[in-house]
Amino acid sequence: MASLLRRLTPVPEAPEGRRVSGDVVAEAVTPIPEFCEVVDGHVRDVIEQTGEAAEAIVNQLIKVDSLAEVMAGDVSQLAGTLSRTESELSQVSASNDQLVGRLIAYFLHRDHQIRNLVDQMRELNKHVTQIEEVSRATNILALNAMIEAVRAGDAGEGFSVVADEVRKLAHRSSEAAHGIGSSIADLTAKLDSVLSDDSQFDRGGEIPQQNEETAMTRRLGGIANAQREMSEMVGGILKDTVNAAHQVQRSSDALISETTGAVGHVQFQDISRQMLEHVAEAVGDVRRQAEDVAAYVRGDLTEEDVRSRVIKVADLQAKHVMSRQRQTHAQQTGQDAHAAAEPIIELF
Amino acid sequence: MTTVMLVDDSATMLMSLKSILTKAGYTVETAGHGKEALDKLSKGVKPNLIISDVNMPQMDGITFAREARKAPGMRFTPILMLTTESEQSKRTEAKNAGATGWLVKPVGPDQLLGVIKQVLPGA
Repeated sequence: MASLLRRLTPVPEAPEGRRVSGDVVAEAVTPIPEFCEVVDGHVRDVIEQTGEAAEAIVNQLIKVDSLAEVMAGDVSQLAGTLSRTESELSQVSASNDQLVGRLIAYFLHRDHQIRNLVDQMRELNKHVTQIEEVSRATNILALNAMIEAVRAGDAGEGFSVVADEVRKLAHRSSEAAHGIGSSIADLTAKLDSVLSDDSQFDRGGEIPQQNEETAMTRRLGGIANAQREMSEMVGGILKDTVNAAHQVQRSSDALISETTGAVGHVQFQDISRQMLEHVAEAVGDVRRQAEDVAAYVRGDLTEEDVRSRVIKVADLQAKHVMSRQRQTHAQQTGQDAHAAAEPIIELF
Repeated sequence: MTTVMLVDDSATMLMSLKSILTKAGYTVETAGHGKEALDKLSKGVKPNLIISDVNMPQMDGITFAREARKAPGMRFTPILMLTTESEQSKRTEAKNAGATGWLVKPVGPDQLLGVIKQVLPGA
């Protein structure tokens, strides 16, 4: 500040014959050191204010930096988890395909076995036809025997009874063969229907109680167990993936909060700007005072004018609008610096 | 969508506050001084909240608050003064001009968003 004054106030020379009053010069110059001290305090305030703000921003940026590092780790972990998920899901998909393939093969195999059984049952029909032919032939034979028995008279009476019984047996054999044939036809038709049409199951047909273990239930139970294990594995993989994604989200939220905080700290620029504007204004007052003194010594300004324009530290105080400025002013001028704290936020 | 009008002659302040509010989900309108803000209000901009600096060129924040209250539909819109000034006399002046509250810079993002929630409970 002293060098500034030296620069702004070239040593004036009083016009010849004019008396320069030392009192006036003293009055004009006396407040300048105190004035400068206040200004000096404010400049230091700005330095401190920007230092604090810069420190806060740097701290915030350090946190942002470390959070970014954590987040990069989380993202890498998530990528790893996703990669494992992809690989394991491929395996699961392949296993599923294999299971379904085996299931289809198993049912084809069962169908083939049932079809063979149906064919074998159809073969039985040939034997039934043979039995029917034998019955018909036996019947004819019995009729012929009866005719011969009648012709033999009393001697053939017993033979006639036997022939009649044989005829009855042939008739019952024919009826039994016919019944077996009908049952086989009915059964093979139903089996054909079961093999070609399972729509009854979808229509809610009767489902028997499963309290008996069969080859089919054992096979299907094994497949269901394998499928359950795969589902559990997929569930575990997805849980890991979701956890990793949540961790990334938490890191991301923390990062956003820190960057927002850092953006908020930038308000220091507006505060420093206003502080510097006040300092510049005060320097301007000092400059004018120095020019006034020089003008007075040269005789360009009257004693009254100089005195009326003398700067006052109290005027400087009136311009301070910030709490910090007022405190600094009080400290620099030896006043009580403990003013009542005003609230930062006040809703009317 | 809740619209907040920011009035400040500091470009840094406008950028900083706009970033904080936009991130919090608000739509932001900005003006460099009271007169520009009044022009925007007269052209139909209807903010749900105004946050204004006090010391600005052309029209200061307290005059702006007083004039804004006369604009159609702005009678009950909250107006917060955000300033470096902390003097009680200025606060009283702002209150009499129709301001809703007084915030001394610097205000942290959480503090600012907390006050907005207080004056705009439904937003």
